[in-house]
Amino acid sequence: MVKENLVKDVVKEPYKYGFVTDIETEKIEKGLNEDIIRLISQKKEEPKFLLDFRLKAFKKWQKMDEPDWAGLGYGQIDYQDIIYYSAPKQKEKISSLDEVDPKLLETFDKLGIPLTEQKKLTNVAVDAVFDSVSIATTFREELAEHGVIFCSISEAVKNHSDLIERYLGTVVPASDNYFAALNSAVFSDGSFVYIPKGVTCPMDLSSYFRINSGDSGQFERTLIIAEESSSVSYLEGCTAPMFDTNTLHAAVVELIALDDASIKYSTVQNWYAGDEEGVGGIFNFVTKRGKCLGKRSKISWSQVETGSAITWKYPSCLLLGEESVGEFYSVALTNNLQKADTGTKMIHIGPKTKSTIVSKGISAGNSINSYRGLVKMGTKAKGSRNYSQCDSMLIGDQAAANTFPYIKSQQPNSEIEHEASTCRISEDQLFYLQSRGIEFEEAISMMVSGFCRDVFNQLPMEFAAEADKLLALKLEGSVG
Amino acid sequence: MEIIEKIKTNQLVENQTEIQKICLDKLKSSPLPNPKSELWRLSNKSKFSNFLDYSVNKKDLKFDTPYPKNSQNTIRLIIGENCQIQFIEENYSIQQLSEVELDKYIKEQISCFDQNENWSDLLNLSLSCKKNILGLKINGSKIPPIEIFSHASSNSLNAKTLVIFLEKNCDIELLQVNLGKEESSLSQSTFFFLEENSSLNHGVVSYGKNGSNLLNSLNVIQQKNSEYNLGSLHFKFNYARFEINIKQSEGNAKTNIKSMQITKKDEQISTYTKINFNGPNGFLDQINKSLADDKSHAIFEGSIIVPKIAQKTDASQLSRNLLLSDLAQIDTKPQLEIIADDVKCKHGATISQLNEEELFYMRTRGITLAEASKLQLSSYFQEIISFIPVTKDRWNLLDKILNEN
Repeated sequence: MVKENLVKDVVKEPYKYGFVTDIETEKIEKGLNEDIIRLISQKKEEPKFLLDFRLKAFKKWQKMDEPDWAGLGYGQIDYQDIIYYSAPKQKEKISSLDEVDPKLLETFDKLGIPLTEQKKLTNVAVDAVFDSVSIATTFREELAEHGVIFCSISEAVKNHSDLIERYLGTVVPASDNYFAALNSAVFSDGSFVYIPKGVTCPMDLSSYFRINSGDSGQFERTLIIAEESSSVSYLEGCTAPMFDTNTLHAAVVELIALDDASIKYSTVQNWYAGDEEGVGGIFNFVTKRGKCLGKRSKISWSQVETGSAITWKYPSCLLLGEESVGEFYSVALTNNLQKADTGTKMIHIGPKTKSTIVSKGISAGNSINSYRGLVKMGTKAKGSRNYSQCDSMLIGDQAAANTFPYIKSQQPNSEIEHEASTCRISEDQLFYLQSRGIEFEEAISMMVSGFCRDVFNQLPMEFAAEADKLLALKLEGSVG
Repeated sequence: MEIIEKIKTNQLVENQTEIQKICLDKLKSSPLPNPKSELWRLSNKSKFSNFLDYSVNKKDLKFDTPYPKNSQNTIRLIIGENCQIQFIEENYSIQQLSEVELDKYIKEQISCFDQNENWSDLLNLSLSCKKNILGLKINGSKIPPIEIFSHASSNSLNAKTLVIFLEKNCDIELLQVNLGKEESSLSQSTFFFLEENSSLNHGVVSYGKNGSNLLNSLNVIQQKNSEYNLGSLHFKFNYARFEINIKQSEGNAKTNIKSMQITKKDEQISTYTKINFNGPNGFLDQINKSLADDKSHAIFEGSIIVPKIAQKTDASQLSRNLLLSDLAQIDTKPQLEIIADDVKCKHGATISQLNEEELFYMRTRGITLAEASKLQLSSYFQEIISFIPVTKDRWNLLDKILNEN
């Protein structure tokens, strides 16, 4: 009984990012049609090719059906009841952070995001996206010295339209899937990164996504291009206020790595997950894909997924270049009535390509946590290898953990290994730790942290600590 | 496809029995399985239509088996040929189920059928005439091994159904042989009901010829403390599907499965298993092996379902695959769906080719490459074959797949 109460106490830990910033915003009317798309494009003063890209995507989206294979069982989404563009009102052009509305800075301050000058010591460059637009990007001059372009995608469309035209939609085509098509039609902002040849990005780059209004969806698009022999580590974080309605988030992330380039993409996803009864929360439908185009290129995804009412996300790697490497490290935690269907796709196309998948799922409460992954060896992937490991931890007897690995091989000279297991926090281990004077909560936190260690080791320092804390906070004492 | 048209217009078989009527009604609205569903997604459409290309066989079949002659130590039954079966000895009895018992059981099963998941069974029961449904109840101990044959005849579609009740404390070894003929289709559905404390060592050997097609569905319900061991081998079919559906109705039961499929030329053979634990303390140890050569395609999909009630389940599933040619392909998907928290569940999958180091070692000892490969393959096959009952002395399966295939 004591333990059960503890569970409830700890799980009740309020979502501390759930506040709403009271700021004047400019919103367009609800609904989705060609005029809305033209309006978004016009507001962002986009070139014609981008408007065409959007309209083409919209036409495809209209013909597509919403996917239901993940069996997530969420209610019908009314796509006409969403505001597709919402931006905080501010001065036309911002030349320095001093001109940003202090309320916005305060918001990001509350979230612990180092936007203001005094926090620059942390040595992470940040692009902060608030609802539909990017409000500030830090460290731009320092990065420019190295030739690194780090800006919002809207700016990139204006200043580097050749790169956008060349690469946008090459990894995730507009017709890829229902949510990618929707994003391609209405994406409002996001981050753009370009690392020139031979440059190792001098600092970690980070984008922070904040949904503020309850009735607008967020559709950001990220594009990262790493030229030959360059490397970059990119971090992504996200939060949203608590509303009792569901908010839609459909993002697309495209990564391109050329010869010998390496991209490390880390995410800590902590969107509002809804309350204990499952009211409210973000519907998170994300398409993330990286293309290892060059020889010996490497793309590594690491993610900690703790938020969202619904998560539908499969960061993938297309391994085209010879000896290219794809990695996926994931911790997905679901509690209460959350549903997560997440995993990866490793498509081995080029010879001697390698991929590693480590996925750790923790399900508590009445949640459903599924790993769904595809490993495919194409006919030319001679000498390729894959290793996958998917572990699930169940906390309480109401939570579900599913594993759906799709494995396909057309190349005899390749090797695929997959293993999966399920466990729970054992009473014996708990008893052992407690008998050594370790508090109940700390013992659980230690065990969860140990379970996730393989993934946390892959996260950048700043994130690893945050992720550990986040899990401990969400889970401590969840053993009944 | 003539058959589908006949299903739609209710003209598939004359003088329909009640069971045939019920099944045809279920099939009528959508006579084909949904090709987008997970269970049928990978099924080769043209090969599947090969299966349905033949018209339903109405004649009596002549049974000529290439397999060993019957011996006194085994009981051999042929579905469709034996009119009256009754073995009553001191220790055991094997009797035919009465029509009422048979009808009742099959109807119960049909009532929980899903059009997509049990499509093979629905088709089978729509086609099977009374003569081709063999229902047995077995009890006692020291029962001699049983061999049951189902066979197809050329240029026709044949349906055979087997229903077996294993009564309490009964313990048997049963080998089921499905024989395909040139250009033929065989639909075989099997239903086992294992009562408390019973044990069944079940072997399934399905062996076709050029252009043979097979839909083989196996449904097992296990009561508590029962043990079900399955060893199966499918090879030489243009198109074959083996669907295994096992339900431990109250938990506390043991299931061991060792299955294997070998595909060559442009064959497609698939194995689908669904193991449902409906009570606590269930046990499962499963391994599926595939070998794909030439331009063939081998598929394995296994799902383990552990609901909340099935605490202390211990289940493991392993899919091991050998891909021997550039044009062959293998798909495998072992999946777990777990809600109970106090369980031990794991699965694994590997796809590779023959071990080069082992081959090299053998060649340095003067063994030719061909022989070394054969040795390696035989050790790969042996684990499954040794698990198939009634085969050790009389059936030289290893020799058959290594040399004839």
